[in-house]
Amino acid sequence: MIKYIGRRLIHLVGIMIAVSFLTFLLMYLSPGDAAMKKLNAQGVSVSEEIIEKTRESMGLNRPFLVQYGDWALRALQGDLGNSYKDGFPVADKLARGLRYTTILAFTSLALALAVALPLSILTALKKDSLLDNITRLFSFIGNSLPNFLISVLLMYFLCVKAHLLPLTANESVKGLVMPCLALSIPICGRFIRQFRAEILEQLSRPYVSGAMLRGVKQRYILKNVLHNSAISILTIVGLSIGTLMGGSVVVETIFRWPGLGKLAMDAITNRDYPVIQGFVLFTSTVYVLINLLIDIAYSWIDPRLRETGGGS
Amino acid sequence: MKKRVKTREALRRRLIFFLVLAGILVLVSLIAPLLCPNDPNATSAADINRPPCAEFPFGTDRYGRCVCSRVLMGARTSIFSAVALVGITFIAGTTLGLLAGWYGGIVDTLIMRLADVMLAFPQMVLAIAVAGILGGGMGNAMLAMGITGWTLYARLARAQTLALKEEPYVHAARLSGCSGGTIMVRTLLPNLLGPMLVTAATQIGVMMIGIAGLSFLGIGVSEPQAEWGSMINGSRAYLQLAPWAVLAPAIATIITVMIFNYLGDCVRDVLDVGEVER
Amino acid sequence: MKSRKLFALLLALCMIAALAACGQKAEPAPAAAPEGSTGTQSTGTESEPPAEPRYLKMAVNFAYPSLDAHKDYYGWYTQIYGVTETLFRIDADMSVKPLLAKSSDVSEDGLTWTFELADAYFSNGNPVTADMVARNFRRLVEVNERYDDWAAFTFEAKDEKTLTITTPDVFPTMLVALTDPEFAIMDLDATADFDNAPIATGPFVIKSFKPEGDVEVVRSDSYWNGDVRLDGATLFYMPDAESKLLAMQAGEIDCYTSVDAAAKEIYEADPSSYNLTVIPGTRMQFYVLNKTRLSDNVCAAVNLTVDCEAIAAYLKGTTSAAVGPFVASAPYGQVTKPAPDPAAARALLEADGYVLNADGYYEKDGKVLEITICHYKSRQLPDLAVLMQEQLKNVGIKATLVVQEDPDAGYVATGDYDIALYCMIADTGGDPYYCVDALYRESGKWAKAGFPTDETEALINKLQFETDIDQRAALANQIVQMSIDENAFGYVGLFNKVSVARPGVTGFSENIPFDFYGLTADTDIA
Repeated sequence: MIKYIGRRLIHLVGIMIAVSFLTFLLMYLSPGDAAMKKLNAQGVSVSEEIIEKTRESMGLNRPFLVQYGDWALRALQGDLGNSYKDGFPVADKLARGLRYTTILAFTSLALALAVALPLSILTALKKDSLLDNITRLFSFIGNSLPNFLISVLLMYFLCVKAHLLPLTANESVKGLVMPCLALSIPICGRFIRQFRAEILEQLSRPYVSGAMLRGVKQRYILKNVLHNSAISILTIVGLSIGTLMGGSVVVETIFRWPGLGKLAMDAITNRDYPVIQGFVLFTSTVYVLINLLIDIAYSWIDPRLRETGGGS
Repeated sequence: MKKRVKTREALRRRLIFFLVLAGILVLVSLIAPLLCPNDPNATSAADINRPPCAEFPFGTDRYGRCVCSRVLMGARTSIFSAVALVGITFIAGTTLGLLAGWYGGIVDTLIMRLADVMLAFPQMVLAIAVAGILGGGMGNAMLAMGITGWTLYARLARAQTLALKEEPYVHAARLSGCSGGTIMVRTLLPNLLGPMLVTAATQIGVMMIGIAGLSFLGIGVSEPQAEWGSMINGSRAYLQLAPWAVLAPAIATIITVMIFNYLGDCVRDVLDVGEVER
Repeated sequence: MKSRKLFALLLALCMIAALAACGQKAEPAPAAAPEGSTGTQSTGTESEPPAEPRYLKMAVNFAYPSLDAHKDYYGWYTQIYGVTETLFRIDADMSVKPLLAKSSDVSEDGLTWTFELADAYFSNGNPVTADMVARNFRRLVEVNERYDDWAAFTFEAKDEKTLTITTPDVFPTMLVALTDPEFAIMDLDATADFDNAPIATGPFVIKSFKPEGDVEVVRSDSYWNGDVRLDGATLFYMPDAESKLLAMQAGEIDCYTSVDAAAKEIYEADPSSYNLTVIPGTRMQFYVLNKTRLSDNVCAAVNLTVDCEAIAAYLKGTTSAAVGPFVASAPYGQVTKPAPDPAAARALLEADGYVLNADGYYEKDGKVLEITICHYKSRQLPDLAVLMQEQLKNVGIKATLVVQEDPDAGYVATGDYDIALYCMIADTGGDPYYCVDALYRESGKWAKAGFPTDETEALINKLQFETDIDQRAALANQIVQMSIDENAFGYVGLFNKVSVARPGVTGFSENIPFDFYGLTADTDIA
């Protein structure tokens, strides 16, 4: 197992290099650069000479490989560099955004799971019942509304009409409630659909009908069913953690939550390479680590997988 | 269980019902230009934000354009692009995931590492880079979504395959001398198709919203072409003044997503029953 | 067996997750409950100290990571926060008014400027000396790339309160330039942390500052220039237009500027709850016709087709129709352009050999006249693009819209457009040179479209060094009129500065056209 984890961690480094190189290349190929973005930020026109001079001093005129190499070498020494936009250390910016994104991501995920798990089990057992149909309808609606619409509707009804929550609260527990709701509603809708489908799939397996015929207590059958659904459920949850940890631009902007999504979006539009790279390094690490954890969990849940390598 | 077998005919009928509904959706999007009550792109200063009336069944938007006509024309862009995108990523992802799960070893490593790199790639970076390098437009927006989209199916298919591989009937098939290809197509594929199809059906909605998000970034469709997501996005500021301009495309999205989801459910149910009977 | 145990563990984890979720959810609920009950009585006061203090809550569009006024554009926001001040400021009528400077004088040859400073002091009580001002200017030139040109100037303190600036060439726009918020004066000796706690001369000092977040300011107890009415203010960073509208409706903020068209309409419907102020702003929306690609007649036809008044009507008073880049009331805004005339536009196209085809579009030799309109998603340009496309279509010109994320690196740089939409600040404070220089220079970014001629270039050079104000206006009018007569540019709209405030809130610079003014000593809340 340890050998296996070690191998996966080596993969992680490979993926980080591949992803960071690809990002650098893509950003390098897209039009626009940090010098221009920085100087034109407020719609004030700046002469070409000044832009060129700034470009030179920021090192943006160096060849692509030199720029990437320079960044990679420093990153290896643990130095993510400073933001092109404001000269602040990238690591500080990421750490701040990460703190808020983590809080938001995990509360949203916990809320979504707390609602979706029991509901999906219940609706799978009572398929086509009224509860099933109502749940299904709501999960469709939650799942097919864009995030910004959910956010604006929540704000309108909870803050303006009902005065339940303050709009201007951010970075606090009170400020967490609404972005958390806005994020977890669509996730919850998706989870219910996917969990329910998975549980139904298991319920239709021969071992269930066999056990039923043998008169095994429903409780035990359910336990087995859940056990066997766990792999898929874990995969679904794991994938959404990865997405959530990238931060949500829309929700973070509307609810003024200073997370990673907004940080990354600003960095991309400003062509702030060091920040983009830092963000990419971080998200790729999260993805790979989560996938690793999922795979480890697979082999724990289902020891049979361990013999076949569990995904080596 | 007996009840389920009995209702097989009912399930079939339900499947056909939702197939017909989905067919109608596709048909509507095909003949949309014939159904439009007004020119979907014609602006009119005199008709800004008009509530629904006889002339404009769903009212007008901030430029005085007929929302009903735009919803109809938008059906084509939204439904076609989402269905095509899900179709392509589903086929590619399932195939790769199946191969990775079945063969393991170097095939698995290659495919899953590629998936890791793609998944680890932030969607925003990719979308903006694609738009910047290749330009905007629906094709490029779909490319930006597709590059990462297939990984979801690949991972699910692989996980399913790994689990199914140990099932007795797969062992039996292997012992009876069936080739890997035969087992994958005949035994594994039908068994993992159910949950995968449900995921795919759910993804149609996700893709529709995703494409809408890209039009927000300036990729995806450009004005004045109608697309539901960008219609919702463009009118959201007017939610209090002209709610119809937001609600009409939103409801159209919800209905479409629902039909495809129910369709996915029916497909799975029918497959399940088939299996029980066999 | 083992796996079963592990599964139990997994279930337990799920339970913990569920509990955690309940905990998270339950936690804010009780906190929110009393809020809800007090909220029904008066929603705006719950987070404030008792009713006595005059405390303003305002939303702003940007938030920067630093308060160092000399760097980047950070000075725009330190000035909005009422923390920093400059030697001169621009008034509501676009005239330059002295602030930290008492008076100014320029030598006969126009190369030496002399300034007498006011009796101002910093919030720590230190006086503002000429030496401190000179050092501030040197620091600005050193740390801000946009002021590289100023490296050739010398700043000298003649005595305690007299400052001179010597320039190698005549620099007629000196006073306007000094109103840039970047020319803020800070106490360089006493300030320990420029990023978080600059010591400056404004009516407010920073109480709390979150980088790229909300800012709290309190009244400076030792403000040098009269009484400060407010006790303090919070400036919420709210980039999203709907958030601002909803926060205003929920009573959580008292005022903000740059109200969008939708919100403006909502506020207009309830004049007893909201005071709207609409004044001409400084940003201008225009398009550039690519003369290297379009024939003279096509350019003329486009200009005769685009109906700025109609576009302004769609935008519901957030912009006003433009004739030239400057407001018509300014002495340098005296230009004319022909009224929209679709029939004349068609006649021009037909004279060029175009004929209408069955689809209602003009074509020549079987090729449809198709032009691309490039734009980017900001400053209402997408609205302009859609409306222009529709107007052109009605005349018979087929237009396709191209949207790019970064115009400066995209179509502006490559010149790959038939029509390019753009928005920029045109009037930087009572002088036309900045805009003329940015738009019509042979070395400028629009030169690829083929307009600039030796004649315009000569006129611009003349404008650069002309010291007589009337002459400057005349020159600017001449140059702008040329751009209109040549059908090289189309000026579509001048942004209005639209501000909204709760009744009783006044003096948050809602009457000053510029974006970079905000809180002042006169800001008040009833």
